[in-house]
Amino acid sequence: MSSEDILSEIRRDYIYRLVRNGERIDGRKFDEYREINIEIGPIERAEGSARVKLGTTDVLAGVKMQIGEPFPDTPDQGVIITNAELIPLASPTFEPGPPDENAIELARIVDRGIRSSNAIDLDKLCIDPGKEVWMVFIDLHILDHNGNLVDASSLAAIAALFNTKIPNTKFGIDKDDERLAINDIPIATTSTEIDNNFIFDPCLDEENAANVALTVIITSKGELCGMQKSGIGRIPVETLPNIIDSSINMGEKIRKILLKALENNITV
Amino acid sequence: MSKDIVIPGYLLGEDINGGDGTFKEGNRVYSAVYGIAKRVNNKIEVISLKGKYNPKKGDLLIGIVTDITFSMWILDINSPYYGFLHLSDYTKKIEKEDMSKEIGIGETVIAKVKEIEMPIRINLTMNDNRCKIIRTGVVIDVSYAKIPDIIGKGGSTINLIKKKTNCDIYVAQNGRVWINGSDEMIKLAINIIKMVEKDGCFDNISEKITREIDKDGDR
Amino acid sequence: MEIDEKPERFIVDGLRLDGRKKDEIRPIKMEAGVMNRADGSCYIEWGNNKIIAAVYGPREVHPRHLQETYRAILRYRYNMASFAVDERRRPGPDRRSIEISKVSREAIEPVLMLEQYPRSSIDVFVEVLQADAGTRAAGITAASVALADAGIPMRNLVSAISVGKVDGEVVLDLNKIEDNFGDADMPVAMIVESGEVTLLQMDGIFTKNEFIEAMELAKRGCSQIYDIQRDCLISKYKKLDSD
Repeated sequence: MSSEDILSEIRRDYIYRLVRNGERIDGRKFDEYREINIEIGPIERAEGSARVKLGTTDVLAGVKMQIGEPFPDTPDQGVIITNAELIPLASPTFEPGPPDENAIELARIVDRGIRSSNAIDLDKLCIDPGKEVWMVFIDLHILDHNGNLVDASSLAAIAALFNTKIPNTKFGIDKDDERLAINDIPIATTSTEIDNNFIFDPCLDEENAANVALTVIITSKGELCGMQKSGIGRIPVETLPNIIDSSINMGEKIRKILLKALENNITV
Repeated sequence: MSKDIVIPGYLLGEDINGGDGTFKEGNRVYSAVYGIAKRVNNKIEVISLKGKYNPKKGDLLIGIVTDITFSMWILDINSPYYGFLHLSDYTKKIEKEDMSKEIGIGETVIAKVKEIEMPIRINLTMNDNRCKIIRTGVVIDVSYAKIPDIIGKGGSTINLIKKKTNCDIYVAQNGRVWINGSDEMIKLAINIIKMVEKDGCFDNISEKITREIDKDGDR
Repeated sequence: MEIDEKPERFIVDGLRLDGRKKDEIRPIKMEAGVMNRADGSCYIEWGNNKIIAAVYGPREVHPRHLQETYRAILRYRYNMASFAVDERRRPGPDRRSIEISKVSREAIEPVLMLEQYPRSSIDVFVEVLQADAGTRAAGITAASVALADAGIPMRNLVSAISVGKVDGEVVLDLNKIEDNFGDADMPVAMIVESGEVTLLQMDGIFTKNEFIEAMELAKRGCSQIYDIQRDCLISKYKKLDSD
């Protein structure tokens, strides 16, 4: 995402040469993800949280819930607000200040997957129609940027939502906190184009060597629930069906990893 | 005369030479700009209808001083870039302190492109007897793409306008025209130049100019 | 036709609520060179969208530290007037418009020959005066014509349109109700001649087959849009000619 990272010409050439020979700098296959590590609930003070490592890319998602007013056009629905911070700690190219277009784009892609898949049942988050609803704040903190923030952040967000308890007691709504109901598990899968090949889960160098990335978000049923082309490159129309097939495939695999992490967490 | 109006990406031909305003993919030549395609022998070029002047070494320009720093006059030359005129490239030797007295901010000069440093810095000079400070008459902006039309074959069009209006007219490469004469005649010259700018591609342009001038004279 | 509730059905007897067929685009009017100060411009009316795109440049970059040594920078500002929608919106950039500006810039940049103007900037301003669904596609379509009008060297035009899903069916060029209450919305920008996609976003739900159908429809839509863009540029010249 961060186009300001400068990649030396020779390194770029090297990445292209490798891909031309069917290889990648870290030895992965074109549709192979880096190791995915999901930590559920690392932040106790948050209503829900998760930390996802995709290789060395490291993202922490925290969910906070508050009571607020619904939007006028959806008086009986809760509100989701997704925000991403590319904090300077994560990369020399991130600068302090309000979210730039990359941070905003990232947050909006993550938000799109959750919203389009109806992962959260917003109707159930209504307390008093037109007056009080639950507001779900999903905040994404990028801790280490080594490529593919979109997939890592999307995964962290949905994992954190799974871990979220509605803080009924804190706000005097009910005497027990309850789990936030999750209806779907959208999984974002991103690939970038290098030498006419689309390679999944790009590391930072691959990301910087490429001109274009495509994110496809997949529901549990294997449907598409969000897409975003990012970057100045072009995508030939005829390559899209293959990318989508791979995305559906990858989405299924990553979902299993998440479910397993959730399972382990419950048993612990 | 037939005019081929083309848009960017238009296939101009195969196995021909592409000139200005074109790009090549394989043996195919496409238009890179919105404009008029002109074919001469085995070469095709597209003259942009608008677009900004791109400085070339040796071009004579009309520039307007926008800033004076240190030992440089910085000129708006109606291009994507400013032009830089160094003290040492002025017509005569002067002291730094006297720069703004010689040419102040907002003043107009005719200067020559001395060299273009890459990536891009336009250095100007006034060390050419055609260069000077302009303090009379008026300068108008025209589409630089229409300058060949305004000048005409071998200067025919511009000479006709000069003769008919009795004005001194200088057409600079960067789409600026300096007109000097009586206010009445300047007005007429501007009208005619604007007309040529608009209709420039017509063959019968000189008749049209004559008619326009005579019409004006009748009034 | 103002409806602020989800209609029971979007398609009745094969026709949409505004009388269009599923693969039919809304009426489009486009005019190039409508503004005086800008180096290039285009006004577009697409359905009830009313949008102006203006181009300045290539010109000196301010602030200077943004300039790039070997190429021009492209800046793209999509902005919506506060009165463009039913509920007054707060003026100035919001997160939506920042994202749209970014992806729109990336949709246009592939066709521009930015290397011809080192250290300069090309600035595109898209002002949505009235919004009626599909504003980013209309903005890109108009910006592309405005860039050509400005004489900027480019490899081709970029054409854009939105496709979506209502009543479980894939439809071309969503109107406002379809956009607000439909099941999916996918804006697409393409270089029609090469069949390359330069903008692709989607929200809502598509199956893979629906996506493929939608993409096919988008391709045909973009090709129609391209014809309108071309005619707009050519007719502008003819008009000049006949004056």
